[in-house]
Formats: sequence, structure tokens, C-alpha cells
Amino acid sequence: MAEHLIDALTYVPIQRAAIACLLCGTSCALLSVFVVLMKMPLIGVSMSHAAFAGAVVGLLFDFNPFVSGFILCLLVAGVLGPLSDRADMAPENVLGILFSFLMGVAFLGMGILTRTKASALNLMWGSLLSLSGSDIMVLTLITSVLVLFVLLFFKEIRAVMFNRRLAAASGVPERMIYYALLFLTGAVVSSNLSTVGGLLIFALLVQPGATALQLTYNLKHFFLISAVSGIGACVSGLVVSYIFDLPSGASVVLMATTIFAAACAFSPKRRSVKTQGKEHVS
Amino acid sequence: MNTYCIELDGITVRKARGLLLDGISLRVAHNEFVGIIGPNGAGKTTLLNVIAGFEKFEGTLSLFGRRESQMRSRKTKLRVGYVPQLFQIDPAFPILASEAVMTGAIGRLGLFRSPGTQEREKAMRLMEMMRVAHLADRPLGQLSGGERQKVSLARAILQEPDILLMDEPTANLDIAVQKEVLNLIDEIQSRETLTILFVTHDFNMLPSSMRRAVLLKRGKKVFDGDINTALSGDTLSGLFQYQLETFERNGRRFVSYG
Repeated sequence: MAEHLIDALTYVPIQRAAIACLLCGTSCALLSVFVVLMKMPLIGVSMSHAAFAGAVVGLLFDFNPFVSGFILCLLVAGVLGPLSDRADMAPENVLGILFSFLMGVAFLGMGILTRTKASALNLMWGSLLSLSGSDIMVLTLITSVLVLFVLLFFKEIRAVMFNRRLAAASGVPERMIYYALLFLTGAVVSSNLSTVGGLLIFALLVQPGATALQLTYNLKHFFLISAVSGIGACVSGLVVSYIFDLPSGASVVLMATTIFAAACAFSPKRRSVKTQGKEHVS
Repeated sequence: MNTYCIELDGITVRKARGLLLDGISLRVAHNEFVGIIGPNGAGKTTLLNVIAGFEKFEGTLSLFGRRESQMRSRKTKLRVGYVPQLFQIDPAFPILASEAVMTGAIGRLGLFRSPGTQEREKAMRLMEMMRVAHLADRPLGQLSGGERQKVSLARAILQEPDILLMDEPTANLDIAVQKEVLNLIDEIQSRETLTILFVTHDFNMLPSSMRRAVLLKRGKKVFDGDINTALSGDTLSGLFQYQLETFERNGRRFVSYG
């Protein structure tokens, strides 16, 4: 079996899929830290649907789907930021409306699309085994920018995640960090349409962060555990899909869920909460 | 210095549901400790938010003799510290008490600079002063409400502000812990050179070093003066439209809600 897998790695599409797994796992996992700690899973959903809708519109007009997906993501980020800052509108409602609107745009586009629908379906499910060299280049670039962002602004990121309002009041450039985050989410999501697709990417925007939340109180470790679990889900998903000839996106998501379940089962945090509870009672 | 630390002139805050603040004027000198007191919906928090830069307003606001709008420079933000009401935090959130205190120094450090020994030592000193040094390595979400508020105070002072704004810092704490936090606020007032604005609705839970009270009702200032005069039965009964009696003990006035 191992020989069989190593043999497969000599093929270019498999090599690309393996590299894409590392990049997709890393970029989605780093973002998931923000999604989980800043409690914004709906922003992840809206962004992934914006990317998907934008890409379908791109296909419709013979435009590069990554670019059009990214543009729609930026637009959504530009609308989301100020709207979620307004006290008179519940962000959940704004996101709910935006999310369903984008879904509508995507399906409308797919309905109108006269050519083969396979390319649009690929954007939905992703196709790790048919990536081009430029797909990999874009993924590499965006993942590097995200990693750099986390490394350079780590202390500001911690302050903003802890409490946006307090951070803003005490002279931390909170808006810069928050908007950079929204734009990076757009970039990561749209560049991963080709890998795991616009629907399944949501799993990777939540699961690695949720896994890390079970395991550590240290924010640096949190980012690392999240990245390792994201990459783990992508790589093991790819291997499972190759061995059993299953759809790659679905295998990745199911592996992600399995990793999360394992983290819950072995979570030292849950154990300590339980024992603390008992001590409290006695 | 002959300018005021905080100067408000005709501050009005308008929302779709009505006026939250209606032409408030107020002058606060350097190192003064002022209580902003009033019933729910009086506009206390809105007033604090205007000074903190969280709220758009009409009228003139000057801080340290300079006119300010809602948008501030980083330099001005650094000079205004803020202690919020006790807020919820996920017990699993990855931040230790000492790291939460340290977030107070981040704005001052600026981008691309890490906190050094100096900041760490100061944070530890403040945590000792707030009696939470022994909790430094505990996750913040696992501390009690009172402990979290003490961390919040240490965090605000680490910022080295000239003005400290406190929005009901003792709300939702039990009585003994409220008293302890108030004593710590008195200690801060005596040790640091600070102008403090303290918002509350509870007349009986005031820091003893607070000498001046501003009473608000429905967005308007209805009293501004000595705390003991503010706590006279007549002033308060008018404010709440409810007969309240006050009595004196140990040189301070208290309100009987009976």
C-alpha cells in the first residue's frame, strides 16, 4: 500500500494535489482561528458563497472565475465590515440575508449557464486532482501573505480577538486588522474554490480552530495545532479518496470532522472543567 | 495648567429612537474624580462613549485642551483608558490573565515591537497592586467576575492613560467583591495621576475618594456638585420620581431604598 502511494507521487497531478493539500490546510486552518475565536462562522459561510457566486458569474461571462470570485468576496467584505459595526442591525440577520442572496446569484448563474455545468460543479465540490500550475502559484502566494500577516501582527491580533472595542479604544489599529482579515478570508476562500470547492471549504474554516479550542490555552500553540489539524484533514482526506476512489472534497471534510471528534474525546480542557466542577461541589 | 482635562459643550447624541444626550456641558479638571450617576436610560454610558470615541455626537468635546471628534489620533487614544462592565468570555478562550493585562500595552508599543522586560515587570506590579498576581498564569475565562474586573483595571492602567473611564465596573459582582474593587479604585486614585469618570446607578456603592457627582436624567444634566449634596433625599427623589430617604454614616451619605 505504502509503495503504491509513493508510486502515485511521481505523477504531476498527484504532486500538485499534495502541495495544494498543504497550502489549503494551512490557509483555511489559520483563518479558522479567527472564525472560531471571534465567533464569526457566518462570515466564513457568506465569504465562501460570495466566492462561489462570483466564480459562477465569471464562468457565465468567460471571465477568470478566481478573479471574479475574489472581487465579489471583496465587495461582500466591504459591505459586511461597516454593517456588522452598526448597532441597529443584528449581524446575524445581515449575514443571513447576504448569504441567501449570494446562493441565489450562484444558482441563477448555474441555471443560465448554457455550456457544460461540470466546471461550475467543480467550483462547488473542488477537484484536487485537476489543478493547474497557476492554481498552485496563487495558493502559495495567498497562503504566504496570510502566514506573514499572522507572524507580523500577532500581538495586535491577540488584542483584537480578545475584545475589538477595548483594542480600538487603547490605540491598537483594530480596523486595519479586522478588514485585513476579511480581505484575506476572501482571498483564501476564492483561491480554494479549485481545491475543496465553495461548499465544503466551510468545514475547513471552522474545524481546525474548533479542534485547537479543545486542546490549548496558548494562542501560539492554538495557531500551530489548528494548522496541523487542517493539513492533517486535507492530506488524510486525499489519501483516503485515492485508496478507496472516493470524491476528494467529501473525504477531506469527513476526515476534518473525525479529527475534531478525536480532539473532543481527548480534550484536557474538558477534563479540567469536569474535575474543577467536582472540586467546587465538594 | 489652566485648561480643563475634559470639556464638553452642548453635547447631543441623536438616534432614531430619540435623544440619548441633550445638550450636556461639563468641565472636569485634571486629577478630578467624578461620578456620573443616574437611573437606567439616563445617558450615562452614552456620555462615557462620547468621551471614549465610541459614539458620534453634536457639540464640542475637548480633551487636554484640544478639540476632538469621534475619530482620534492614536496618541489621544493612548491617553484615555477604558474599563468596561464585566463581559462574557468563553472559558476555553486562549488568553491568560497576564496576557489580557498585557493587551493594555500594545497600542503604546506600536506595530512590530514586542513587549520587553519593562512592560512585563510593570504588568506584574499592577497585577500585584490589584491582588491578582497569583492568577497571572491562569486562563482568563476561568477567573471569577471580580478577578476579571481586577485584571481589567490592571490592563487599563498599564496603558498609562491620563483619563480613566469606568462604565459600571462593579455591576454584576456580589457585594463583598464590589467593595473590594471600589477600594482598589480608591488605591489607583491615590497612587496614579489620573482624571477618573465613574459611571454607576448605585448610590451606595461609590469609591470613597469620589467627591463630585454629576446626575443625569433622560439625557440631561440635572445636578453637578458635591457628592453629599447630590445624595440628599430631595435631589434623588426628584431624579427618580420616587420617595427616597438618605442618612449619614462615617461622614458619607447613603440612600435608603425602602
